[in-house]
Amino acid sequence: MAPANKDTTRPQNTRSIMVFLQAHAPFSNMDDDHLAHFAEHATLRFYADGDVVLSAEDGLVDRFYVVKQGRIRGERHNEQADKMETTFEISVGECFPLAAIVGERPTRTLHRAAGDTFCLSIEQDAFVSLFSESEPFRDFCLRGVSSLLDQVNQRIQTGAMASMGSSISLNTPLERYSLRKPITCLAELTVRKAVAHMHENNVGSIVIIDDNERPTGIFTLRDLRTMIAEDRCTLDSPVHEIMTRNPCSLPAEADAFDAAMLMAEHHFSHLCLVDKDGRLIGMVSERDLFSLQRVDLVNLARTIGTATQLSTLVGLRADVSGLVDAMLAHGADSGQVVKIITTLNDVTVRRVLELNIQKNDPGIPFTWLTFGSEGRQEQTLLTDQDNGILFQTPDGMTEDQVREKLLPFARVVNDELAECGFTLCKGNIMASNPKLCLSDREWDDWFIRFIDASTPQNLVYSSIFLDMRAIFGPTDSLEGLLERVLTRIRNNALFQKMLAGNALQRKPPLTMFRNFRYVTDGNKRSLDLKRQGLAPFVESIRVFALANGVRSANTLERMDELVKTGVFDSKDADAWKDAYSLIQVIRMRAHQEMLDKDEELTNYIDPDDLNPLDRRILRESFRQAQRLQQKLELTYQL
Amino acid sequence: MLEQIKLWIERCRRGRTGSIAPEMLPTPKKPGDQLLSDCRLIVLDLETTGLNVGKDEVIAIGAVAINKGAIDLSDQFDLILKRPELDITETVLIHGIGPEALTHGHEIEEALLFLLEWMNGDPVLAYHSAFDQAFLEKTLKAQLGYTRNHTWMDVADMLPAFFPNTPTGGKGLDYWADYFGLEVSARHHAASDALATAELTLIALNRAHKIGLKTLKELQGKLRYHRRLQSMHGA
Repeated sequence: MAPANKDTTRPQNTRSIMVFLQAHAPFSNMDDDHLAHFAEHATLRFYADGDVVLSAEDGLVDRFYVVKQGRIRGERHNEQADKMETTFEISVGECFPLAAIVGERPTRTLHRAAGDTFCLSIEQDAFVSLFSESEPFRDFCLRGVSSLLDQVNQRIQTGAMASMGSSISLNTPLERYSLRKPITCLAELTVRKAVAHMHENNVGSIVIIDDNERPTGIFTLRDLRTMIAEDRCTLDSPVHEIMTRNPCSLPAEADAFDAAMLMAEHHFSHLCLVDKDGRLIGMVSERDLFSLQRVDLVNLARTIGTATQLSTLVGLRADVSGLVDAMLAHGADSGQVVKIITTLNDVTVRRVLELNIQKNDPGIPFTWLTFGSEGRQEQTLLTDQDNGILFQTPDGMTEDQVREKLLPFARVVNDELAECGFTLCKGNIMASNPKLCLSDREWDDWFIRFIDASTPQNLVYSSIFLDMRAIFGPTDSLEGLLERVLTRIRNNALFQKMLAGNALQRKPPLTMFRNFRYVTDGNKRSLDLKRQGLAPFVESIRVFALANGVRSANTLERMDELVKTGVFDSKDADAWKDAYSLIQVIRMRAHQEMLDKDEELTNYIDPDDLNPLDRRILRESFRQAQRLQQKLELTYQL
Repeated sequence: MLEQIKLWIERCRRGRTGSIAPEMLPTPKKPGDQLLSDCRLIVLDLETTGLNVGKDEVIAIGAVAINKGAIDLSDQFDLILKRPELDITETVLIHGIGPEALTHGHEIEEALLFLLEWMNGDPVLAYHSAFDQAFLEKTLKAQLGYTRNHTWMDVADMLPAFFPNTPTGGKGLDYWADYFGLEVSARHHAASDALATAELTLIALNRAHKIGLKTLKELQGKLRYHRRLQSMHGA
């Protein structure tokens, strides 16, 4: 109870409304004077359950509302289904209408009270003056919930960055790095002169350009060392004989993340930056990217990719976790982080395969397939193996004979991957399973059965086998296979419908009253972020992607493709991508915290542990999952 | 708030000399055909030194106005009176108003005149209104010699009249506030209790509208009828 004589400049009720507002974004970021302006100009209204608060018939919107108690439901008429459907729900501390009042137009949504509801509201004049005076308020009104997402990301970054002592984000465009003017020469210059040139300028690399200033090669001190050690050519040979041809290049607008990924994948330490005509404008080295950060993705990928024994690979897994920490800290978004993890996992898997081929070559070319989350490039630290083998039967051999050679090899690889931290798959979805080590013809038959005889078991497996990627070996046979699978699914409406039905099995964890619906797990309140949060997105998006011939397996990329083909509205897709990414970030942060505490990794979190902003956005994200599922229901009339 | 009072006092002093005659103040309105959806209602709560109208005194006045069916926060009243002579030892723990606050409060006469002008003769609602009415009328008479009667309505009657048989567990403000899930920011602060009472009033007025009660007179009739029913079932 606040004594009445404190802060007597403002009446108690004004103060209490300010306190209420301060607990909710965007008001939490606003100055006291602006909050007081709101409180002093507000009216408080009551709406009983079902009362209309705001509708299109009211004409131009002239008030701005904040829910003080209860909930508001937005309803729109769905033309296709000819019924009203709930498009959103607004709960305590949230505002409406945003677009309509900013756009000075009538609302398009019927706003109705759900349960007994009190709303504070201000008239347009007061709204306009707040809008013009308070930057956080203006930002929120113009960008809505997505501005809150930025806040979450900013906080993740600042929190972690304080300990890292750096302010460069991976989203920084490369052109903003202080780029060194690269040292260049023409292809006919001798190695001796090229090295002298490098020495004069005290640099470790030189870019070889053609007459149009396009980079054609790169020569580094490391190349010089190799050249002398292996006695490949003399110092008087032209540099083009020993240079690395076609150096990797990126346009200047690309960001640090793109550069880091490219370097990690190809183990390059330098990239050329080029303008739109392909002319060299700068160089960026891994040291440029990471000198201020102790994040060494490229080096880690190289160390993994060149490890000579299994024990080294096993030891490097801890570094991967440290890297994820640092990446989250440096503002890599969740899409970036899962790709990094996937890239490092790919490099590890490739290296395990290479080491085993060196030791014990099965003698038959094969393609190593990954399924599920690795297939989608969406792995986190908690991951198990889902893999298989695709081979082409050599002339004169039967498929079983090939398997006799490949299966023991695959067994060793599966076991060694387990040592590296990729848990053995409980469902035995692994390359050492004879049912998943198949020729291209057998895979074809396998998928025909899978699609045509869509048993419940098959549908469960759809989340694994329909998200497939090759990470080692020739890729053309997989492309052919994928093409045939996609065509078959496109022409099989029944399979699509069953897949859609299956995707609706997992509901986002929200109750009718827009609270979290918890998993019953003893007396602990928890949400399963993977099964309840991410799965509704992944599975619904998969159905749309497969039905529309989208070949990518990555959920975010699938959404981009679905926008391009006009299946998704781009605003919807943006909201879904934001929501999906946010759940993923919260999940990864939870994983990192569990690692720090030496706990076993799980996908469960207690939302009470989250701060109010995260909780609200998590709830909003789940609601987006509901919307996506509604679209699926409508499309397949389920 | 302070600014408003100063301006108002300035205005009074410039316009008229000496104290203001009661005739100059707004005339209390009778409940007639004013539409509930269109009129102004005062919702008021007093903090006092105790429960005995004979010997206890008003120390704080909080009130909000309901304008056209909405609580208008730009139109509210929240004052502690200047009464350093009063003994507040019995109730200081309830309302939290200590001797210091009473020393720095507002001159009683000015505050009451301002209150009357602010009320503008509109009907006054309160929770257990008999208590507030008795204290306010006594104070107005003693300090200003003001004896005109405002129309009073009891929100404690209004709620059971519109929501009969509601299992609130009790008749007090807290029970109804809990039942409707209201958050009272500072219970036993006059203005805060007035706001909670006003919120309950909005809930009752919403129901009144739905069952076809349109005017102030009809509302008063409904309350009278409810009270008669209560006394017939007799305690």
